[in-house]
Amino acid sequence: MRVHTFLTECLFLAKCVHAVLKQLQDILKEASRRFSMPSPGLCEGQLKQENFILGSSTMDQVKGVLTLQGEALTQADINIKVAKSSQVMHFAFRDDKQWKLQQIQDARNHVNQALQLLSSRDESYTFKTGAEVNKLMDAVMLQLSRARNRLTTPASMTLPELAASGLVKMFTPPMPGDVMVNFYINLSKLCLTVYQLHVLQPNTTKNFKSAGSSVLHNPGAMFEYNNTKFEVSHVHKVECVVPWLNDTLVFFTISLQLCQQLKDKISVFSSFWNYRPF
Amino acid sequence: MSGNSLVLPIVLWGRNAPTHCISSLLVMDDLATIITGCHDGQICIWDMTPELEINPRALLFGHTASVTCLSKASAGSDKQYLVSASESGEMCLWDVNDGRCIEFTKLACAHTGIQFYQFNIGTQREGRLLCHGHYPEILVVDATSLEVLYSLVSKISPDWISSMSIIRSHRTQEDTVVAVSVTGILKVWIITADVSRMQDLDPVFEEESKPIYCQGCQSISFCTFTQLSLLVVCSKYWRVFDAGDFSLLCSVPSENNQSWVGGEFIAADKVIIWTEDGCSYIYKLPASCLPASEHFRSNVGKKTEGSIPPLVYSIADRADKQLLICPPVTRFFFGRREPFHKLLIQGDSAGRLTVWSIPETSPLQPLSSAAELQVSVSISLQEAFDKLMPSPAGIIDQLSVLPGSNEPIKVTASVYIPSQGRLVCGREDGSIVLVPATQTAIVQLLQGEHMLRRGWPPHRTLRGHRHKVTCLLYPHQVSPRYDQRSLVSGGVDFSVIIWDIFTGEMKHIFCIHGGEITQLIVPPENCSTRVQHCVCSVASDHSVGLLSLRERKCIMLASRHLFPIQVIKWRPCDDYLVVGCSDGSVYVWQMDTGALDRCVMGITAVEILNACDEVVPAAMDSLNHPAVNLKQAMTRRSLAALKNMAQHKLQTLATNLLAADNADKGNLPKYSHNSLVVQAMKTNVTDPDMHVLFFDVEAVIIQLLTEEAQRPNPTLVSPETLQKAPGGADKGGSFLANKIFKQVKETIKENIKEHLLDEDEDEEEEQRRREEKSKSLSLLEYNLTMDTAKLFMSCLHAWGLNGELDEVCLTRLGMLRPHTPVSFGLISRGGHMSLMLPTFKDSLLRQLAEGCAEGRKLSVSEIVGKGTYGVSRAVTTQHLLSVISLANTLMSMTNATFIGEHMKKAPARPPRPGTPETPRKTTPQASSPALQAQIKQGPWRGSLCLCLHAWLRSAISLSLSLSLSLSSAHGICSSCSLRHSCGSSAIERSEILINVCFKNCICHV
Repeated sequence: MRVHTFLTECLFLAKCVHAVLKQLQDILKEASRRFSMPSPGLCEGQLKQENFILGSSTMDQVKGVLTLQGEALTQADINIKVAKSSQVMHFAFRDDKQWKLQQIQDARNHVNQALQLLSSRDESYTFKTGAEVNKLMDAVMLQLSRARNRLTTPASMTLPELAASGLVKMFTPPMPGDVMVNFYINLSKLCLTVYQLHVLQPNTTKNFKSAGSSVLHNPGAMFEYNNTKFEVSHVHKVECVVPWLNDTLVFFTISLQLCQQLKDKISVFSSFWNYRPF
Repeated sequence: MSGNSLVLPIVLWGRNAPTHCISSLLVMDDLATIITGCHDGQICIWDMTPELEINPRALLFGHTASVTCLSKASAGSDKQYLVSASESGEMCLWDVNDGRCIEFTKLACAHTGIQFYQFNIGTQREGRLLCHGHYPEILVVDATSLEVLYSLVSKISPDWISSMSIIRSHRTQEDTVVAVSVTGILKVWIITADVSRMQDLDPVFEEESKPIYCQGCQSISFCTFTQLSLLVVCSKYWRVFDAGDFSLLCSVPSENNQSWVGGEFIAADKVIIWTEDGCSYIYKLPASCLPASEHFRSNVGKKTEGSIPPLVYSIADRADKQLLICPPVTRFFFGRREPFHKLLIQGDSAGRLTVWSIPETSPLQPLSSAAELQVSVSISLQEAFDKLMPSPAGIIDQLSVLPGSNEPIKVTASVYIPSQGRLVCGREDGSIVLVPATQTAIVQLLQGEHMLRRGWPPHRTLRGHRHKVTCLLYPHQVSPRYDQRSLVSGGVDFSVIIWDIFTGEMKHIFCIHGGEITQLIVPPENCSTRVQHCVCSVASDHSVGLLSLRERKCIMLASRHLFPIQVIKWRPCDDYLVVGCSDGSVYVWQMDTGALDRCVMGITAVEILNACDEVVPAAMDSLNHPAVNLKQAMTRRSLAALKNMAQHKLQTLATNLLAADNADKGNLPKYSHNSLVVQAMKTNVTDPDMHVLFFDVEAVIIQLLTEEAQRPNPTLVSPETLQKAPGGADKGGSFLANKIFKQVKETIKENIKEHLLDEDEDEEEEQRRREEKSKSLSLLEYNLTMDTAKLFMSCLHAWGLNGELDEVCLTRLGMLRPHTPVSFGLISRGGHMSLMLPTFKDSLLRQLAEGCAEGRKLSVSEIVGKGTYGVSRAVTTQHLLSVISLANTLMSMTNATFIGEHMKKAPARPPRPGTPETPRKTTPQASSPALQAQIKQGPWRGSLCLCLHAWLRSAISLSLSLSLSLSSAHGICSSCSLRHSCGSSAIERSEILINVCFKNCICHV
């Protein structure tokens, strides 16, 4: 009995697991390639630059053209049409500045860590127990789900945090004090939010209530920054799909499912292997 | 009185050591303590002697995810602090001596490395922790408050930091932080005195940023011997750099497809490098890397790849490494004080520590063939457990040993029913055992006549599951809307069974899931009436079922989830069942129709889950099913169980009792057995359960007083006895509340009688039906409270300090001596907990033996009591307080003895198996008149009082020396605020005091 189950386990581990791991590795390599990691030997300029035109079907107050190079936004042109005066404001990134999208960097690092975990267990390695495979899968899945979560759940920030983030200082001409912008990734979309603010008078009768942290604040949200109270008057959100981010998300989902299926298989087998009559 | 109550945990570990898959490792500076963190989130403290004997001492509970890194958090050797970080972003500060959690915090991102750093600003010293992890900065955290002070950031290509090292320079006042990012860029920050004083969150930018082309950097370390070179280990090669200008001195590739994971300088000219699979190599560095040599930097700028420096030693892994399920963790430490060991320590997935002591000198052999270094010492948690004689007790071991086998059947699921004082244990073989918790704990922990009896204590076995029972639920405990007879169990055989615990009858079997049952949950109050009579079952095939106990059918099965179910939440107002899966997706099911309303991911999923929390008060999910794993147990302990059981409700209960008649008497029976809570825990899902008994001292006292006040012959309670002890905190109330107590007790008694009768009838019916199942379950024929107090006092008493007193305790007070030192625990803030491992007494023995002038060997029994007074000061304080208050209470009672229970009087059962005869009904009746007679003997009572009084006095004097320095200053009960501990001299002094007092007491008698 014992010998038999041991043999079936070995057979399964030898045949099935490596096939799945190979497949997994291929998918993740493909995903990692999409992030176009700057290889240390090459200079930065060799990274591909992509332009994205951000817009929304319902409104045209805000338009933006963003240039994404790897994980950083290298150029940005934003046109904001102010509702009252129908005057168009134009902002662009200063030449010396670029904005790193931390979400992309984190996702890239997580997927690379997952790959590193897998690469140490190639065909030459023999798995001895199902538990060993489970442990590996747990570690890989942790990295993969973190990678995916970084893209699917943008950081929620408070408005003062956003105001202090230094993003407004990136632009030329300098942004006026009543405009704030935020860039983030939501799923496969590159999003730009523009908040138009107005200053609340100190003697205002309105109840001041500081808004909590959120990915996207609504008009009416209030906050205090540098001893001045502000209220958000307009919010404009424009976005554009980044095709390669979409690909990576698909890769992440597929590989997570592969991992889970392998774990499920092992758990079915192991409950059979561990069966001991009483 | 302090707002916190005194809850003391006692652990029954069982024979199986908890799974301890080591994920991080640390040796404290004095080389006397090793700390290991594991993948399940526990931290183990191991004691190490100068002769390199290692013994596990305690297990710290608090993290909910894998421990990623450990670091010391204090510079001095008087107070040793430890900081740990977990995969989920938690950080904890622990006291190494007693395992108290001093501070904890949670950040959004996980740390992968922490280093302690001490700033010297003039005479002022401040501890800082430099952390790096899954974020592109180095965070500087205060080492006592765990607050983020500021961060070290980079201007040029900021990225995650994979490794970091602090270079201390004695020449200048500046210290340098060197770090390598994941993309292989070396960064340097300079920390000056101004920087360290900075309190605001202004970032500090890097001084230098240099690509060193090290892909997959694993570790960097600075040579502390010469302070001139830097070792960088990457997975495929290791390199030595000049620490001044970071120019490459040598580079060595790995052989045979091995991947390096770390390295360290062990001397000015030698490095040790280890691989992922646990082999280590000691290399002698080439002359170009040695600052002392004239060839230093001789080949800077030349191509240096390929040449492999001579190998001094190779340290292979153990032979049985095939049992490992993940790569081991290797670290190198050297002592800066006596005994100057240079140790290579490896911790692996089997909970094993292997230590190699690295010799100063090279072997005499020719260097061409590297010598193999022998293992100095190796021990695993399980080995340490196996070595113990007697083996560590499990909660129902005496009932679980099958004939012809040594190993008890493992308990795989348990639930405690406080209202009945019963523990329900599901076992590996599919049977479920119901047993009185106190009695079974007495058998396991204490020596006594019960050891001779087979099948003691009386228990009932339910058989129905084919294989392992995975979860148990007693729904009535969560909500009174459920029938108090029904018990629900889930098994690995995919079935969920409803039992009647009074008859032992199997009511119904649900077979709806396609995988083993992992969780059983009670829906919240405000669900529809149909759902209110359901329990929710979760299975490993990722399905969720709603099983109606009343209709005996499954009313909903949600089974389309692709990933394992992590959390179940409810939106009763919308009739939604919300299922959160491990991949972050959320499924919303309509309970009524069983339709999938929607399936979402990302922000929306998070928002839906948060919205459920707002509607339903916290901890609604998985509140009351027994430990599925430790994460849940811990959350429950901190959130619901501890708070409710210990502090809040009992405080209200006490005040209610004192207040007067308007107290809500209806609620009282509910709390009547809360003095003891048995919590099953497991550190890993594959482990068998271990059990922690939580004694609430206040609750024990309240119960004792309640029963005392209710006693039929009040003439015996003279006012003097009560007034004699004004120290007892809860005593004042007993007189005032006499009336209430009586009423309450009457009702309780009636309830009890009902139950008892019920049970006996059922029993008899059953006995007629099945002969072999006829063991009596007469739970309440003994005094539950007294039994709890007996167990508690016997565990706490300082056995072995005074022989005469021990004798009195044994013969007159009816206390029992523990088999071995009891493993106590310590609850500190936020539900963090430290539990002594059963092996702790070995360290203690050694410690005491050292203390003995003659150096004679002490036996285990001699230190039974001293155990608790030597191991940890915070524990000692708690124990003294408990002993004092409880002894005080017992003294005022009419029959303050644990003798006279029916156990003593019952005819000794012949120790033969398979004889089902039980003179059950006669037992209690026979015992009670005898018991009464004995108690009424005046002189006996006198001596008893005297003895207890003396005992109390000594306990007080013992505590005086302690409490003057300790307890009063810190508020004993608040286990969390005990920041300081008294010196051992205080303990010695009090031991002398104790002895003097006992002598006096014995003379009087």
